[in-house]
Amino acid sequence: MESFRQAFELLFPPDKELLQIIGVTLKMSFFSTLISCLIGLPLGSLIGSQSFRGKSFIKKLIHTLMGLPPVVAGLVVYSLFTHYGPLGRLNMLFTVRVMVVAQVMLITPVVIGLTSSFIESASKPVIETARGLGFSGLKTARLCIGEGRSSLFSVVLNAFGRSIAEVGAVSIVGGNIQWKTRVMTTAIMLETNKGKFSFAIALGIILLLIAFIVNALASFTVRENADG
Amino acid sequence: MVEIKSLKKCYGDRTVLDIPELVFENGTVTALAGANGSGKTTLLRILAGIIKKTEGSVKTPASVLYLPQQCYAFRGNLIKNITLSGADEKEASVLLRKLGLDNLASKKAKSLSGGELQRLALCRILSKKCELLLLDEPTSACDARGAQLVTEAINDYKEKYGCTVIMSTHSPALAVNSAQRLIVLGSGRIEADGAPSDILSSPESQWAKSFTSGWKI
Repeated sequence: MESFRQAFELLFPPDKELLQIIGVTLKMSFFSTLISCLIGLPLGSLIGSQSFRGKSFIKKLIHTLMGLPPVVAGLVVYSLFTHYGPLGRLNMLFTVRVMVVAQVMLITPVVIGLTSSFIESASKPVIETARGLGFSGLKTARLCIGEGRSSLFSVVLNAFGRSIAEVGAVSIVGGNIQWKTRVMTTAIMLETNKGKFSFAIALGIILLLIAFIVNALASFTVRENADG
Repeated sequence: MVEIKSLKKCYGDRTVLDIPELVFENGTVTALAGANGSGKTTLLRILAGIIKKTEGSVKTPASVLYLPQQCYAFRGNLIKNITLSGADEKEASVLLRKLGLDNLASKKAKSLSGGELQRLALCRILSKKCELLLLDEPTSACDARGAQLVTEAINDYKEKYGCTVIMSTHSPALAVNSAQRLIVLGSGRIEADGAPSDILSSPESQWAKSFTSGWKI
């Protein structure tokens, strides 16, 4: 109950730092989900709808990357963007932008894998009908996305959920810097390490609330468009 | 012209289609008959490029259209389902009228019955021009009136574009009223090949006889 009271106190009136942390969390999750989906949805649709040499290997590779440990992704991105790394001159380490890069590396394989699995199984009749009508691969992929948009929306939500809940990669590349790169998860980790359990739990409750609101809004949108 | 040479389709050790040679002349209508699993759909799907052959060669024209057995309704109303193929709304309305669906034009396609959906899928296919039209049991879900409309629509399309038509069917009426040639398949092999009336009156093999004996015209 103490945690709930503290969460309430943090929100009403809103704590300035908390609002900044929520803002950074949403910004990072939104852009990483957006970029991952822009790459992953078309690629997953093409892989799922086309037959080509090496498809089996690509699918195995994607499935392996779907289980990529966040700290490994964080380490790879850190190595790339560190001062002496190949992309060090971009000066992006410990910024929200590099946190987005790490998140994209983690989430894109998930989006590709889930999308291609969905297209392969649920979209078989769509693909056969489209091919029967002589549609191009691109038009077939577009149709599959349009027809299965409710299912694909859950892929997007899954990506967003993974992004907002991720802690390992963002703490390595973001550095958990106050007023700059601190997000909900890294803040929870920090407060727990400091022994401020009530505050950490309060942050956890707020994080859950955000996830719930986003899911509810998304479900509502999908239901509105569900009937063909 | 459609030319098939030494065509084989295998799934593991099982050969589901084995056709040494088969030619479909331009502008002809051929009906494929045979029991379930005889290879009709496999042959059509290979010709349509949906699945790959295991062995042999298949030569088809550049533009091929294929109507699958399991018809699919895209989101939106019937008109939208047809215009998706490139036809304009006027052409779509004409086709819907021809297949007896004009009163359902603004209805959601996903709410159609099986027979209505099959006729809609045919409208969608017939809205495009092609050199080879492949139809997999185009009247399987239709009632007598629906089947008659489908038969007329196929005949009109063939008349208009002069394309080659190959269709699988269990309907003797469709085979006799539309096709000049009937090929009976059994276990992936050609059991009988000739004019529908000849095969139905005097089947070339015992198997074809047993299969077509139930067909009454």
